[in-house]
Amino acid sequence: MTPRRADDIIRFLCKLMNCAIVLFLLTPIIVTTLMAFDARDYLGPLPPPALSFRWFTAFFSDSYFLKGLAISLKLAACSVAISLTAGIATAYATDQTTFRGKDALIAFFLSPLVVPPVVTGFALLLFLSKIGVIDGFARLLCGHIIITIPYTIRATLAALSGIDRSYTEAALILGATKRRAFWDVTFPLARTGIISGAIFAFAISMDDVAVSIMLTDAKTYTLPIALISSMRANFDLSIAAASVMLMAMTVLLIVILEKLIGLNRAIGQGVFR
Amino acid sequence: MDSKRRPNPLFLPAAGLFLLLFVLPMAGLVVESLRTYVPGRIGSAEGAPFTAANYAELVKPSFAVFFFQTLRLSLAAALVGVFCALPLAHWTARKLSPRWRTLAIGFFVTLMFLSVLVRTYALELTFGAVGPLGPALRAIGISTNSRGYIEILVAAGLLHYIIPMSTLTLLATFQNVDPRLTDAAQVLGAPAWKAHLTITLPLCIRGILAAFLFGFTFSISAFVIPMILGKGRVLFISNLIYTRFSEIANYPSGAAISVVLFVLAMLLVYVMTHLVNKRWAQ
Repeated sequence: MTPRRADDIIRFLCKLMNCAIVLFLLTPIIVTTLMAFDARDYLGPLPPPALSFRWFTAFFSDSYFLKGLAISLKLAACSVAISLTAGIATAYATDQTTFRGKDALIAFFLSPLVVPPVVTGFALLLFLSKIGVIDGFARLLCGHIIITIPYTIRATLAALSGIDRSYTEAALILGATKRRAFWDVTFPLARTGIISGAIFAFAISMDDVAVSIMLTDAKTYTLPIALISSMRANFDLSIAAASVMLMAMTVLLIVILEKLIGLNRAIGQGVFR
Repeated sequence: MDSKRRPNPLFLPAAGLFLLLFVLPMAGLVVESLRTYVPGRIGSAEGAPFTAANYAELVKPSFAVFFFQTLRLSLAAALVGVFCALPLAHWTARKLSPRWRTLAIGFFVTLMFLSVLVRTYALELTFGAVGPLGPALRAIGISTNSRGYIEILVAAGLLHYIIPMSTLTLLATFQNVDPRLTDAAQVLGAPAWKAHLTITLPLCIRGILAAFLFGFTFSISAFVIPMILGKGRVLFISNLIYTRFSEIANYPSGAAISVVLFVLAMLLVYVMTHLVNKRWAQ
């Protein structure tokens, strides 16, 4: 076999593999989207004979899901607000100064990212029961703060370290107080980075199962927990409708991130492109 | 600016949150894992005697099988994931026009961000027993209830995240390799596959290892994917922790498993940051 012939065969095989992989990644999404608009009231073969919004209506008339959605949104808003405030303060404090153990401190603040979420949830469950926190929402909030805060710290740190120090120094030389220099110069420059951190944190909070499932109780549960328990009970297609809406939310967040920081700039940036 | 040596006190609120919600709970976890379990009691008693029994129990075959299963499936998923991502990343980095590349990156990022619930539900709906593909699978002789198929389904769930993630990691790696190197090799008479095998792959080994370790770490701490797709027959370490808590309320045992999983994850992260980065830092 000539080398050229071998190359052609390998090239063809790689192409075939790429197509198969993209098909594997896409098929579940397409099937779920089709099923969500299925007009039949049972799981039948594809494609559905007629389309309807009945499963979306079913989702929005189910008080179990709606309560979960309301708690999820409230929880995400509260935990993002807290972790964003603490995250900005931390990033500002560490970015401004150099001290011994600074890298270790930052690594410590990012460490919840690498701890398996079930372990975080279980540890919190034990601790909160021991100190007597029994309110469901407070317990969930504690869990969600610790899983979202690394994202806000990381994004704010990245945004602050990208700012030319001389802008802030110019403001200080011109007589601004440190507070004013921060709010008028540094903060506006770091704003897009901070917002992208908040978006990440929001998405993480809305999506979490492993931590929430440990801290949830019969009356306080998030949307993912509601979805997962009805998923195990029966295979209702209103979950497909919810999935389509969650997918739409993901795409929306990605588009916002693309507009804010540019995906291509953030990821597809190599020396030889 | 002043006070360059001392940390600004503004980091204290976050430090307080971490102490309360992370350090103390983790320490509590270790203490609980050493307590004696009293059946029928929720949580260990205050001042219960210390014991290593919760850990000793984990090497028994009935427990070890779950650890083995988690490691086996995670290893397989991480390896297959990197193998699948290699041609995909190369194709995205080298063969696509800038416009299509942006679109492809958007596609992979969206897949990575996809809610884990949506992912598992979509896979179960498509490839599971009740889904529209169920009859077709049965027609070609694949039982959707066999253990082998359930294991493949769990691995597919992991791969649905690992492939986009590895592709993005490797994309950045490929873009840092000068394409003129392989061009030169081919001009000098090497076939393209040999040029890639002897030039591109060694230059990308760091990125490949990083993608593999990331996929492996993600897999061993997976929770929702084995919980839904495993149907109770394939359980990961994470699921074991949850059942210790929800079904038999054996907190000390759950804590011991948590500590083991924690140590395992930390070891992998250590390997990832230290060995991979230091070895090929230059």
